[in-house]
Amino acid sequence: MKTYLYDGSFESFLTALSLALDSADSCAIAKEGAEEAGLFSEFFNSGTDPLRAAAARDLVERRGSAESWQHLRFAFLSEVSGSETGILEYVKLLAAKGPGADNMLADDRVRKVHRLSASVGGEAHMFKGFVRFKELADKTLYSRIEPDHNILALLVPHFRARLGTFNWVIHDARRNNAALYFKGRLLYAPLDSARLLEDAKEAEVRELWQHFFKTIAIKERINPELQRKNVPLKYRKNLTEFD
Amino acid sequence: MDLDKKLEILADSAKYDASCASSGSDRGGAGGTGAAHLSGVCHSWAADGRCISLLKILMTNECVYDCAYCVNRRSNDSPKAILTPDEIAGLTFEFYKRNYIEGLFLSSGITVSPDRTMELMLEAVRKLREQFRFNGYVHMKVIPGADQALIDQAGLWADRVSVNIELPSDKSLRLLAPGKTKTTVLTPMSRLADRISASKDERLSIKSSPAYAPAGQSTQLIIGATPETDREIIKLSEALYDKMRLKRVYYSAFVPIMKDSRLPVLLDPPLLREHRLYQADWLLRFYGFTADELLDEKHPTLDLSFDPKTVWAINNLHLFPLEVNKAPYEELLRVPGIGVTSARRILRARRAGPLSLDDLKKLGVVMKRAVYFVTAGGKYAGLKKESEEAIKIKLLEHKNPNGQLDLFGEKELMKEGLAGTVSGQL
Repeated sequence: MKTYLYDGSFESFLTALSLALDSADSCAIAKEGAEEAGLFSEFFNSGTDPLRAAAARDLVERRGSAESWQHLRFAFLSEVSGSETGILEYVKLLAAKGPGADNMLADDRVRKVHRLSASVGGEAHMFKGFVRFKELADKTLYSRIEPDHNILALLVPHFRARLGTFNWVIHDARRNNAALYFKGRLLYAPLDSARLLEDAKEAEVRELWQHFFKTIAIKERINPELQRKNVPLKYRKNLTEFD
Repeated sequence: MDLDKKLEILADSAKYDASCASSGSDRGGAGGTGAAHLSGVCHSWAADGRCISLLKILMTNECVYDCAYCVNRRSNDSPKAILTPDEIAGLTFEFYKRNYIEGLFLSSGITVSPDRTMELMLEAVRKLREQFRFNGYVHMKVIPGADQALIDQAGLWADRVSVNIELPSDKSLRLLAPGKTKTTVLTPMSRLADRISASKDERLSIKSSPAYAPAGQSTQLIIGATPETDREIIKLSEALYDKMRLKRVYYSAFVPIMKDSRLPVLLDPPLLREHRLYQADWLLRFYGFTADELLDEKHPTLDLSFDPKTVWAINNLHLFPLEVNKAPYEELLRVPGIGVTSARRILRARRAGPLSLDDLKKLGVVMKRAVYFVTAGGKYAGLKKESEEAIKIKLLEHKNPNGQLDLFGEKELMKEGLAGTVSGQL
């Protein structure tokens, strides 16, 4: 079996996808450094080839649809191990069956990619609610998140639309990556740790919120199980109200 | 009194309002702060498992009325507080920019008079919109008895407006809420309904005309404080959806906070009954059921052991089993274990080829419930001799392995979207 390795970027992944689709053998795709996945495999470095990447995208949109392309993109952002090869199988099916493939909801190749895509979309929606900003001394709003999937780029348009008049940072501490929005301009940059000087008023607002959060629960209806289902414990450490 | 203490008192008195939705509006705009999200966003969940999406507060918990069920009744000598319009607008803005909330839910006890109360509330929301240029979500309570011109203004500033009916009959209102009658509640509600639909029509032809309460109107009914049956309640909801075009009716299990000789003595709030009412409500709004199909005069009470769709299906076994490869969407929706999402998936997957019973599971159908009611390609895997009793027993076995009703463990119902009934989404 052949395994095509990519460097972690989407474009390199699409290059690997294109190479694997051209190969007659059964193939796998894995991120560099995750080779242990296929001990007896032959490895190829795919590099990044913009033409191949564009061809892969073109194939998905031409044989599938805009929906197929979105599923692929979201499934890639899941960063779940095995998702890359799952996407390869899905694209092979698209190439063979055309746009009807996305209707094959009971087919495991379609299900796998649709589910990964739904999981990423679901987490991105959840984080529209779970992002918590604190105001720093220079009035920048700073938020630290640690999502399972790589959803930062999916969150940005949402906050751009509502906090467009502020400067803000959303810091994915799990991936050491940050979206920096400053004077209406957006930039992504690696960020491992941030030294934060809070605004003088910040603690007061935070306490008001924490107090509100406690008060709003009806004690005759306390239901920690339901609360845990809605706010999984893994997300709580960056949520101000669970401090 | 400091802001923290005021917030505690006024959030504490607002918490019995079940509504927390932030959906139905897509307000937004350049230059200001904030936008509404059409499907709503939950920001957190409190210890009672209810969603927090809005800063839910009263402007004041003072009240000139003495409603028996209400924590803010005049005769309750708990500490009173009032927030100024500036405090309300400022607090909402500070919370909003930190993404704690989607916006504001503003209700109030009645201070001085309904008109004065409404004026102060409008002032708070006007400040938020004009001074802070806030485009986030605002849900405003309308104060029954306030001047019509004031009530009309509410919809100009807010995304959603609501008048709480609270008690599901005129008789109960007169008994427990002196000062309120069916008319004082329904008059502003119907006025708002007319304004909302007029504005919608207008916006169809002139897009730039101002939206009037774009997220519509809702109300709340208290469950278990008065003797109305489930049938009376669901019939009332049906009428509110059809005639008043309400977006949501919320049901709030009565929490006996106040002792009063006119109120029943309840040990616990009737949460399971509330849950069943939400399920029935969902069937009215998304599943094409009518109130009469779910409950009739002989059976006016929702079954606590089974969800209302299962009860309906068991009482209508002659309509089943349904062939999933042929049945139209409306009929698929009536199968226990098939929800809106899985019914849509079935339609879509059918276009790619015939479905087997195994496939259904992969589409998200809850087969342990649906198995008695469907065939796939003519194959049936339910009970050989189908009978009402046998199916009931089987369903109960699945549902009830410990002999205990598992109120929130009904994962399949959650999947069908009923999570919203407890979390208040949509």
